[in-house]
Amino acid sequence: MRQAAAFVALVVLGWTVWDTGADPVRLAHGLPWIADFVRRMLPPDLAVLPATLLGAVKTVEIALLGTAVAAALALPLGFVSARNVAPPAVFYPARTVLNLFRSVDTLVYALIFVAAVGLGPFPGVLAVVAYTTTSLAKLYSEAIEGIEPGPVDAITATGASRLQVLRYGVLPQVLPLFLSYVLYRLETNIRAATVLGFVGAGGIGFYLQTYLRMIDYPAASTALLVTVVMVMVIDGLSSKLRAQLV
Amino acid sequence: MIDVAGLRVVFPPAVAAVDGVDLAVAPGEFVVILGRSGSGKTTLLRALNRLVEPTAGSVRVAGRAVTGAGAAELRAARRQIGVIFQQFNLVRRASVLDNVLAGRLGYVPSLPSLLGRFPPADRALARECLGRVGLAHLAERRADTLSGGEQQRVAIARALAQAPAVVLADEPTASLDPALTTDIMGILRSINARGLTLVVSQHQLETALAYATRIVGLRRGRVTFDGPPASVTPAVVDAIYGEPR
Repeated sequence: MRQAAAFVALVVLGWTVWDTGADPVRLAHGLPWIADFVRRMLPPDLAVLPATLLGAVKTVEIALLGTAVAAALALPLGFVSARNVAPPAVFYPARTVLNLFRSVDTLVYALIFVAAVGLGPFPGVLAVVAYTTTSLAKLYSEAIEGIEPGPVDAITATGASRLQVLRYGVLPQVLPLFLSYVLYRLETNIRAATVLGFVGAGGIGFYLQTYLRMIDYPAASTALLVTVVMVMVIDGLSSKLRAQLV
Repeated sequence: MIDVAGLRVVFPPAVAAVDGVDLAVAPGEFVVILGRSGSGKTTLLRALNRLVEPTAGSVRVAGRAVTGAGAAELRAARRQIGVIFQQFNLVRRASVLDNVLAGRLGYVPSLPSLLGRFPPADRALARECLGRVGLAHLAERRADTLSGGEQQRVAIARALAQAPAVVLADEPTASLDPALTTDIMGILRSINARGLTLVVSQHQLETALAYATRIVGLRRGRVTFDGPPASVTPAVVDAIYGEPR
């Protein structure tokens, strides 16, 4: 059984190597071109630093606003998708809808929203909200399913209403986890938002793509450096905050 | 005060945890439900306020029907039944006072309580109940920073805050060491002395005999003995616990 599984895995992987045209020799031939690309990016053109910094700020704004709105919208969704809180008639449709929306990435949502409301950061915010709401709702619901039943029993036994039980028995148990998930999502959304500019949804990605198109590689490298620093700073801050939560 | 008739709780597929219990508890009694683990004590207590749904039979507590009650009636019945659990079941991250205030949830206006607001009278009552278990000085501490014995006392204060007619305690000392057992059972006795009706489950014979005014022996979900501690003979003990000890 185990050997059969290993054999199947090998066959599948072998086929993917053939079908994708994966070829180490081709990569080796391409290496000089990468070196050439990097050489043409240096030194970074610091004249575009103010513009790219503004773009970076916009990217952070997109991620912040999008994540904040999603964190709130995901709350009711998380509760109706938790097996131990929602009745089956609510739980199953809710889970299905969540999985449906989650299977589409932020970038695809951005394409849709750019078409709907035009270019700029706003469709970026909408895209972040669309993806993050459902992915946070899934994480929330899993946190809710993992709670201790004891305190919930105790609050129920006092004669509390369903909402009061959620507020006093469930919420205190899951709130720190929720916050930690939101911060984690903020980190990944910053990264996602840098790419959103490529499809016209604002932020630093817009600058990066424009410079690349204009074959202005020194300017593009400045945009890249700003992106790297921005992501590192946000990741550092966020993981520090998260460490204090759990 | 408590009237139980023909109570059965069957867990799927066909395990009768409580198998036809009749029980009438008078006001002011200190009843200890005695039995081995797995005898149905916990299920019986949980069925009394429908934390577990009975399969058959009826339960009335302090003049209110528990079985057959609608959602609002059930909440009204529950708030006059304080419950103390083996594992304390405090909300760990909440403060001690907030845990005790939770005992008022069945009384206070719903919307403000969802925002964390309680009327001053309820806050005062919660502090008073905390004082009655000797923990007034720990009101602002986080519940999970307290020792096991202290947590159980907070749980007792939470039950008292309900201004209950009856207190049910499910193995309240099974998670505690012997010194704390005396401590917690002593508090329960003093509550009983102030007129509250108590139903406490225990697997420990000595503790049961020392505190109860009445012993109800439970074995395989059935009452095998019902009487004062003085009439618990070795034969009765065998009947409750099964094989000779």
